[in-house]
Amino acid sequence: MSSAEVGAFGVEIGIDSGGPVVEVRGEVDLATAPMLGALLDVLVDHAETHVVLDLAELTFMDASGLQVIADVSGRLAPSRRVLVVQSASPIVRQLLAITGVDDLVLVATAEPARQELAPEQEEPTRSQPDEATSAATDVVVDLIERSALPATRDTVDAALKLVVSLAAVSVGGADGVSVSLERDGAMRTVASSDHTVLEMDHDQYETGEGPCLSAAADGRWFHVQALAEETRWPQFAPRALERGINSILSSPLMANERSIGALNIYSRSEHAFCVDEQELAELFATHASGILADAGVGRSTGPPNERLQRALESREVIAQAQGILMERSGISVDEASTQLHRAARASEITVGDHAARIVTSARRGPRPSE
Amino acid sequence: MVEPIDILEQARRDVGLSIGDLWFRYFSLGGMSTALDVEAFLFGALLASDRDRDLLSVALNECFAERGDDHPLPYSQDRDER
Repeated sequence: MSSAEVGAFGVEIGIDSGGPVVEVRGEVDLATAPMLGALLDVLVDHAETHVVLDLAELTFMDASGLQVIADVSGRLAPSRRVLVVQSASPIVRQLLAITGVDDLVLVATAEPARQELAPEQEEPTRSQPDEATSAATDVVVDLIERSALPATRDTVDAALKLVVSLAAVSVGGADGVSVSLERDGAMRTVASSDHTVLEMDHDQYETGEGPCLSAAADGRWFHVQALAEETRWPQFAPRALERGINSILSSPLMANERSIGALNIYSRSEHAFCVDEQELAELFATHASGILADAGVGRSTGPPNERLQRALESREVIAQAQGILMERSGISVDEASTQLHRAARASEITVGDHAARIVTSARRGPRPSE
Repeated sequence: MVEPIDILEQARRDVGLSIGDLWFRYFSLGGMSTALDVEAFLFGALLASDRDRDLLSVALNECFAERGDDHPLPYSQDRDER
């Protein structure tokens, strides 16, 4: 189980024998939909099962949330999987119906989704997305990718926790998985499947050595087949053995051509990781790296979320100023918008600054002469 | 034959703004279309509404202004008044 929260929005991910269940809480809107999309993308790529989205705790969803749902169902379609939407409120179900999104997903009501997923029932309940829908979902993907909507640290952590959970259940022989990242100048474990793994990462930070640190530092693989025979990390190896660990596979995480951390898989058995497991580990490491690169981790420019924050504040102030102009002059939103643009140009200031002046003067009370 | 370039696209090139950055400025001003739509507006694949054209013009004009230039792009009302 892993979770992520931003304001009222939150996601709980449970993985049971029937596949992943994503429980969404709070509001899915323009700010939080990319986070949900990123989490679901991981599931689409790594789970080989249907994906269940539980909306029992959802309080609000706008078009961006619907687009995420449509997009995910479109991405599941080629592998004959479906997105199951369960426990949606009547309003959300209506929203899905009005927008046609319910044709793309399997809307389950109260019962667990698995019961409805008998193979013979899959096909008739699901229609293929048509070209228009595919085009629409492309736009959404494009928006998320190109709009520089930033992944917050919470988003990144949640996505990495999901990768860790999935790696723990899918890499044969794995008894624990973790992701360590260089953050604020030090290595930190940002996601781990259990406490032993966390402790073992800490052993490495304390002793200043170990496969995880080596993988992160050198940007290459470190595979410990039998810890008892290990000579590279004399301080760390005995501590790991004490914790019952006997083999370790650490893969570097790369973002923007820099090595910034490692994905670590631990096993209680010696020689636990053969070729198949190594390939899977590489897949998960690549995916975790992708999440980090998308989030701008390792990029030298300033934090992207400040930029988004400014953009959202600017939109808010401009919308308020337009509302004030509409109220004052009884004009339409387009007229208010035009008036704002022209007035800003005449005063040789930005539209954002002009809007801020209008809002400030309105807050002070009586209308000043303009 | 070379297709005529939309004045918005010409302005974007003149001011040296990437489509992504232009979209971000447009979004900051209240724009609701996606980056792909904006690209389609610039290359004439989609017809932009007056509101979208104005927002892109404002975004580009502000960029020109930051460089100490004038506001070269007209807004929809300017055109109507002529």
